[in-house]
Amino acid sequence: MKNPTSLDNLVEALRCLPGVGPKSALRMAYHLLQRDRNGADKLAQALQGALEQIGHCSSCNNFSEQPVCNLCATGNRDARLLCVVEMPTDLMMLEQTHTYHGMYFVLMGRLSPLDGIGPREIHLDRLLKRAQDSIVEEVILATNYTVEGEATAHYISELLKARGIKVSRIARGLPMGGEIENVDSGTLAQAMMERRAVR
Amino acid sequence: MAAGGIARQDQQPVFVLHTYPFKETSLVVELFSRDFGRVAAIAKGARRPRSAMRGMLQAFQPLLATWSGKSELRNLHSLDWGEGLLLLNGEALMCGFYLNELLLRLLPREDPHTALFDYYSQTLRYLAAAEPMAPTLRRLELKMLQELGYAVPLTHQVEGTPIEPEHEYLYLPERGAVSPGDNETGVQLSGKTLLDMARDDYSDPATLLQSKQLMRMLLAHYLGDKPLHTRQLLIDLQEL
Ligand SMILES: [Zn+2]
Repeated sequence: MKNPTSLDNLVEALRCLPGVGPKSALRMAYHLLQRDRNGADKLAQALQGALEQIGHCSSCNNFSEQPVCNLCATGNRDARLLCVVEMPTDLMMLEQTHTYHGMYFVLMGRLSPLDGIGPREIHLDRLLKRAQDSIVEEVILATNYTVEGEATAHYISELLKARGIKVSRIARGLPMGGEIENVDSGTLAQAMMERRAVR
Repeated sequence: MAAGGIARQDQQPVFVLHTYPFKETSLVVELFSRDFGRVAAIAKGARRPRSAMRGMLQAFQPLLATWSGKSELRNLHSLDWGEGLLLLNGEALMCGFYLNELLLRLLPREDPHTALFDYYSQTLRYLAAAEPMAPTLRRLELKMLQELGYAVPLTHQVEGTPIEPEHEYLYLPERGAVSPGDNETGVQLSGKTLLDMARDDYSDPATLLQSKQLMRMLLAHYLGDKPLHTRQLLIDLQEL
């Protein structure tokens, strides 16, 4: 039996989601059409709405409905500090610590040489412009401590330092409440190599 | 079925070359193992926040892997830290990505290359120790081509004449050094460069420069038309 074309289209469209193969796409499609047409309608409208409304903040590159997002527009943040993160979720995590009151730039990714993700894909040209607004005094690199995150931090710092901008990298080491006995040897080795003088 | 018992391999020395997302929470891991060559395996649940493997599936670290299965995609059961953590910084990281891309492109799956594995491992140690990068890369590139069975004759011409240090040659892929004059395309270099490379001596800047041109031409020949991502990335960064 041949599927109707609109069903094929739906299945094909669902496959754009990460980790969704042909089988799970078909399951989702059947679920939406058979069990939850109401939900399907909501989903369609929400998607359409989000696509129309949400763009990128011209200042921090995070998702935003306005040209400049709420966080960037408040005016009560310290504009001398610019923290660079990979993803919007990283920004949210940092905000939850309530320890950082500066501005952000969200790369929406990381340099991933083997996947062909380069400086264009993570908007480095926009970051360089943003960091040179003559108000920013320090750029804090809060990319992940993965090999890709490290490479990203390295190249951003080279580019910024060449333009005379002060750059720092968030520290790593033992977790809060971490006991040496229970920490993985990778973290422990890093902590030993990056030890600091006691003041 | 013996639950993959027959094909189970315990605590194999490996390096992660690359990982790709697989289904909702898993990863496909491209491993370079010492005794089995390139092996691909699924790390189930490795993208879950509390996965034990998550933080360890990083390139350039000596790891011990346990996997089972006989299909093209094995099941990765566990990982342990191998001997000595390696810290690659800055440009050395990009060199590492470049080497991994070369291995992924040139090394066929399931083809053991023990000597190349040991050489790769040593190369990462040099990169972590901030040794001069250019000669380190040239050595591994040459070793890689030789280990994979591509002839890179350095001491003699095709017909057997020994290379003379003060002569100029044209180097052609699949053939080696020929006397210049024929209008074939190749890399022009001195006999001294070839002999230096054969002796593993990169102290002469001219040797360093010409060996780079030679290796680039040879690698381009064996890699085919698809350019290397890592090279393109460095070009793009320079344009910013
Ligand atoms: Zn913003």
